[in-house]
Amino acid sequence: MKRLILAAAMAASPALAADFSEGSKAKSWNLTGQEFATFDAKATDAICALTGDCPADCGAGKRQMVLVREADGKIVLAAKNTQAGFQGATWDLAPLCGKTVKVDGLMVGDDPKLESKLYQVQLIGADGGDLKKAKGFTGPWKARNPDAGGKGPWFRRDPHVQKRIDETGFLGLGLEIDAEFLQEEYGE
Amino acid sequence: MKKLIAAVGFALGGAVAAASEGEPIEVTGEIIDTWCYYSGVMGGPEAVTGSAHHTCAMWCAAGGIPVGILAEDGTVHMVVKWEGDADVADGVALLDVQSHTITAKGTAYERDGINYIFVEEVLEDRGIENANHEDFGFVPPFTVPKAVREAQK
Repeated sequence: MKRLILAAAMAASPALAADFSEGSKAKSWNLTGQEFATFDAKATDAICALTGDCPADCGAGKRQMVLVREADGKIVLAAKNTQAGFQGATWDLAPLCGKTVKVDGLMVGDDPKLESKLYQVQLIGADGGDLKKAKGFTGPWKARNPDAGGKGPWFRRDPHVQKRIDETGFLGLGLEIDAEFLQEEYGE
Repeated sequence: MKKLIAAVGFALGGAVAAASEGEPIEVTGEIIDTWCYYSGVMGGPEAVTGSAHHTCAMWCAAGGIPVGILAEDGTVHMVVKWEGDADVADGVALLDVQSHTITAKGTAYERDGINYIFVEEVLEDRGIENANHEDFGFVPPFTVPKAVREAQK
């Protein structure tokens, strides 16, 4: 009964955050406020969880994804996957839309204005299978950008980003300001 | 007992979710990359906004990381719709407004400690007002490719 009361209190009060670290095999990224967290959850998109507008494919990677945690029903925003290069988690989770998944990763952040942390999905499994690394971004990105050739990481070759850098510079303030600052930073 | 606890949790969580309806909102703030802002992976919050972090913010938006509106009171509203479109993580939708200060109206939801916003209309786009590159340089330092850096010498 004590545990039942504790579970009810955790669900009712964000101040009493539950500990989902037991059994986690996630790796530390030395991030602000990071907490290891592994749990079962339903994978769905944020709009579905908030309003009930639920396409069968959760937006196929184009909608932001959330995890509705089985233990307490809370909506956890999945912000990042395990790839070290600016990749989110939508392309990892959308293929599992509507399924109960097991995830392992990090809850991140300690901003006082943010009552809940964001989640980094490092490992994910469904249908009782083994957990695998959440690194599902690259394949769909290549499929969407077949002409993004050259060497280097995807973000340096993304044509949509590069187009904007070409137009307004690395600072986004225009090419003239960019050129002055580049010279100030890297000129001799 | 575990099933009973889970059932209680679901019941309470569901009750909280059901009680929280969207509300009309008009908000002014800077479009930011929420992962870098909260995780500290690139430095403190002041360094991962504005012109200093503009390119990195575009990379994160292109990668599908949630984009937020950092309001004047410090609240971050996670953008899940942009001008009525749900495809905010398509790698393109939010690139043109990264680091811009905007005023938008839409519908706000607060669920389980996160503020979400469905932006229906951008009322004003003031461009990049937070020109903090003089204070922080490029964040991260590898923003500018080596070939471009060396071309400055």
